[in-house]
Amino acid sequence: MKKILIATTALMGLTAVPALSETIGISIPAATHGWAGALNFHAERTVERLSEANPDLEFVLTTTSDPGQQVSDLEDMVATRGIDALVVLPFESEPLTGPIQRIADSGVWVTVVDRGLAQEGIENLYVAGDNDSFGRTAGQYFADTLDEGAKVVVMRGIASTVDNERVAGFEAALEGSGVEVVAMDHGNWNRDTAFNLMQDWLSRFPEIDAVWAADDDMAVGALAAIDQAGRTEEMFVVGGAGMKEMVDRIRNSDPTVPVNVTYPPSMISTAIEMTALGLTSGAPMSGEFIIASELITPENAEDFYFEDSPY
Amino acid sequence: MSMATTAPTRRPRVNLAVIAPIVALIVLILIGMALNPNFLSYANITNVLARSAFIGIIAIGMTFVITAGGLDLSVGSMAAFVAGLMILVMNMLTESMGGGLPVILIGIALALFTGLAAGFVNGILITRAGIEAFILTLGTMGIYRSLVTWLADGGTLSLGYEMRELYRPVYYDGILGISWPIIVFAVLAILGEIVMRHTAFGRHCAAIGSNEKVARYSSVAVLRVRLMTYVLLGTLVGIAVVMYVPRLGSASATTGLLWELEAIAAVIIGGTLLKGGFGRVWGTVVGVLILSLIGNLLNLTDFVSPYLNGAIQGVVIILAVVLQRNTGAAR
Amino acid sequence: MTDPILALTGVTKSFGPIEILHGVDFALHPGEVHALIGENGAGKSTTMKILAGYLDPTGGQVTWQGKPMSFSGSEQAEDLGIIMIHQEFNLAEHLSVDQNVFLGRELRRGFLLDHKAMRAQTADLLGQLQCRVDPATPVNRISVPDKQMVEIAKALSRKARVLIMDEPTAVLTERETEVLFAQIERLRAEGVAILYTSHKLGEVKRIADRVTVLRDGTMVRSDLTADVSEDDMAAAMVGRELSDLFPPKPAHGAEPILEAQGITVPGVVHDASLTLHRGEVLGIGGLVGSGRTELAEAIAGLRPRSGTVRLKGQDLPANHVATAMRAGLVYLTEDRKGAGLLLDKTLRENLTLGQLDRFGSPLIDRKREEAALDSAIADFAIRAPERGMAVGDLSGGNQQKLLLAKTLLSDPQVVIIDEPTRGIDIGTKQQIYALIARLAAEGRSIIVISSEMPELIGLASRVVVMHAGRIVGELADAAVTEGNIVRLAMGLDGHEKDSAA
Repeated sequence: MKKILIATTALMGLTAVPALSETIGISIPAATHGWAGALNFHAERTVERLSEANPDLEFVLTTTSDPGQQVSDLEDMVATRGIDALVVLPFESEPLTGPIQRIADSGVWVTVVDRGLAQEGIENLYVAGDNDSFGRTAGQYFADTLDEGAKVVVMRGIASTVDNERVAGFEAALEGSGVEVVAMDHGNWNRDTAFNLMQDWLSRFPEIDAVWAADDDMAVGALAAIDQAGRTEEMFVVGGAGMKEMVDRIRNSDPTVPVNVTYPPSMISTAIEMTALGLTSGAPMSGEFIIASELITPENAEDFYFEDSPY
Repeated sequence: MSMATTAPTRRPRVNLAVIAPIVALIVLILIGMALNPNFLSYANITNVLARSAFIGIIAIGMTFVITAGGLDLSVGSMAAFVAGLMILVMNMLTESMGGGLPVILIGIALALFTGLAAGFVNGILITRAGIEAFILTLGTMGIYRSLVTWLADGGTLSLGYEMRELYRPVYYDGILGISWPIIVFAVLAILGEIVMRHTAFGRHCAAIGSNEKVARYSSVAVLRVRLMTYVLLGTLVGIAVVMYVPRLGSASATTGLLWELEAIAAVIIGGTLLKGGFGRVWGTVVGVLILSLIGNLLNLTDFVSPYLNGAIQGVVIILAVVLQRNTGAAR
Repeated sequence: MTDPILALTGVTKSFGPIEILHGVDFALHPGEVHALIGENGAGKSTTMKILAGYLDPTGGQVTWQGKPMSFSGSEQAEDLGIIMIHQEFNLAEHLSVDQNVFLGRELRRGFLLDHKAMRAQTADLLGQLQCRVDPATPVNRISVPDKQMVEIAKALSRKARVLIMDEPTAVLTERETEVLFAQIERLRAEGVAILYTSHKLGEVKRIADRVTVLRDGTMVRSDLTADVSEDDMAAAMVGRELSDLFPPKPAHGAEPILEAQGITVPGVVHDASLTLHRGEVLGIGGLVGSGRTELAEAIAGLRPRSGTVRLKGQDLPANHVATAMRAGLVYLTEDRKGAGLLLDKTLRENLTLGQLDRFGSPLIDRKREEAALDSAIADFAIRAPERGMAVGDLSGGNQQKLLLAKTLLSDPQVVIIDEPTRGIDIGTKQQIYALIARLAAEGRSIIVISSEMPELIGLASRVVVMHAGRIVGELADAAVTEGNIVRLAMGLDGHEKDSAA
């Protein structure tokens, strides 16, 4: 809940500081899947809120669907909008490190969100979820609840650093527990792919005790396939990122969906707020700000349920 | 130079081009049987057939479009858009009308009509405004994809719980143990084959794809037939969506991603010529099954690293096509 | 006289089972213009293509500078200095004139193309040909005669030792022809061996030193031009009296069937009117590119047009071929392979393509289709080794008969036949002429468009002649002579000036 504290401070800071026309550029991936959609939702809402609270703060929000376009967007922002600060979620680390470094060198405040750059020390502020913790938290739950010899299938996301870190964390947590991962494949953070994959695994394995889907979109697909096969009683499914539907099932103590792991898309709000505060108040906001993943359980589910979020 | 081409080169009559896709399918089935005893289980066969249905239904329409010398890259996005719109409207209607069967029927009608209209827009712009099919449908592909993202506010559109339960049987139930998507796919495939092979429309599609000028000089209504292929495809996209939505009850920006390429690949694997002039619907059905089976087999085994799934698919597609070309259907 | 630079001895050529050339002897000498004449389909094109390395002979010998030669392809022949100017242009339509002239042999400066030099040299060549085309213009934007000039410029730019010209003057005006002849004279003086083909015997008499006549793939005579008259040449080409080839012309009624008034297709046909009577065979003459085909297509509803077309009193809409066909008017295209038949489809599919609604709806009745093909094969004497074969594998004559069968399947009252016998052998020609006469005798009305004078004269009782998009004259009965048609076609007698071309 540290995050919420910061946000509140940020707001207070903003309203207190005298008017100064500053422009903040925000560049994030387009809403191509649920989590990114929520990211967009939170970014837009935060921009709206901050603009209202402080009319002298200007925002430039761009969304991109590939690294190349993101580089162009950044160049445009610097060239045509003369931004004073940049909040960026790099589409990929390597290709964006150089361009962002140049922007930082020109004296622009840089906040990097979620995906670290290939070189350290470029950004003024780093706000990120913890992918290792995301996988480890889920893995720990599996190790704690499942018996030795239990059979688990793992649905990975799109092959990427994020995905590798999550899976590494998950595997590390399982180590020594005697829980066996019988199959692991890419569901690409996509419901349809996950549905097909789960159907095939259900045909292939007579016994599955639990499913870890590294994202709630995939969990939805997996659950539908399990439901179709009539094997709901046999296993539980743990997704990730705290989708509304999943949290709802948890707070209703659904045995198939016992827990979930957070990876809050609202981290973008934190990043924007902290940047705005850093710009306007001069308060020391630099450094790293890592938001660890939390386990959502029936007990605390109410705290993670956001009625109007699209995710 | 025309003389040189008239030199008759006898092509073998019994050519592998006809049976190559079937051979490939049989080989895949044999491999599947060898690798996993569950491969031929009722559940697995049903799963594969049912999941083939969406792309299969779309690919039937794509066969006509490609046979007539056209192309449609927008079908995947179109499916996502139609699905999104259908869910959105059904949710709205549930609030105002209180749900029930009428909402589902309206939703289905809406999906069919939207698909038809979207196909009509593609067709009319290609035939009347004379825009290259590739470019036009590349454009509408982006448009529909953005529209569904916008409709879903970047997230996922989900059918309300009550409606989902009511609509669910359309995907999961069936008659005599055969689920509806499979039945619909089979019926449409048979109808498609008949239309392609035994009606003036099918013959005209092949004639236009073979040589548009000859068709025009033979008083074939070239533009109308072309337009009809896109309308047919759009309508089939609508039908595919009607089958798709009850499965997961949701649509998002990633729904139907790359369906257009899978449909086109299935059509070509089936022996239809990419440049038009010859098409066969049964081949397309075989092509769709081949593509589905590859995915299924890779999931059922640890045969290859999951990182290489795409490579295996690519190799099989290329092999299937090479087999056909080498055996003489070069034209 | 010098030794031949390039010669054929006893050359034969077969396409599949059909032998096109039967033992041709032919020699080209440096500094000599040798005319090769013959009817369409006599084997001229094949002979030229063998000489230029595009085709291999099936039998016999090609000799280059006294030594036996077997070209690996036209590239090798071209490297030796054997250049062929094609009748169908071999130009890349989207490239500019200078890019075409230097295609494949671009001038370079270092790694880069030397555009300036290529442009200058092209302008120079075109200047010699008195052709006022900007070298930078894309080829698809220049006129047909200019394209011919570009082809000639391209040939001139290569150091030609043998120049093969396939009817170069077919699309040229008289003034342009004169310019071309001046260039030919210059090349002859430089010692280039020139092969020249033309249907215009007057030109042959004037420019050629030697003339060889081909008929049905056989060389019938070869003489110094000075020793033969134009009549001798014509007699040798045809080889028989015209009355042998053409059936008697049936008498026709006076009832007008088709009336076309003020037909205009922008840029190609201007205010053309004609009337066709019941049972009449009307000829349309004129040079290639004079608007004959475009006029016919406009009447048949295949092109946008202004003006009216009335068929038995019914107005036919512009650019709607299906209506014209239903009303009983059909057009048989000159472009058999490009617009007439689907070469990769079977005979049956081609035959019924335009009339599928008559073979059952919604499902096509395959049996009735097969029956229709049976009767077409019998009625039109189509020889196909296999019923299921692709039409592209048929010989030209059988393709043309199938196209006729296809066009006549709708049982039309008016048939417009464009180039009824292009590229087919003499035997089939005769069958087609008999068919046209029979159709007229049945009371149908026919329009025949042809570049072959004997065809027009032998078939039509009345001939209208087009020049530069206009109908410039009409000839009937005894006035239908080659001389009269040619004069009108060249725009000599008419009230029309050249500029409209």
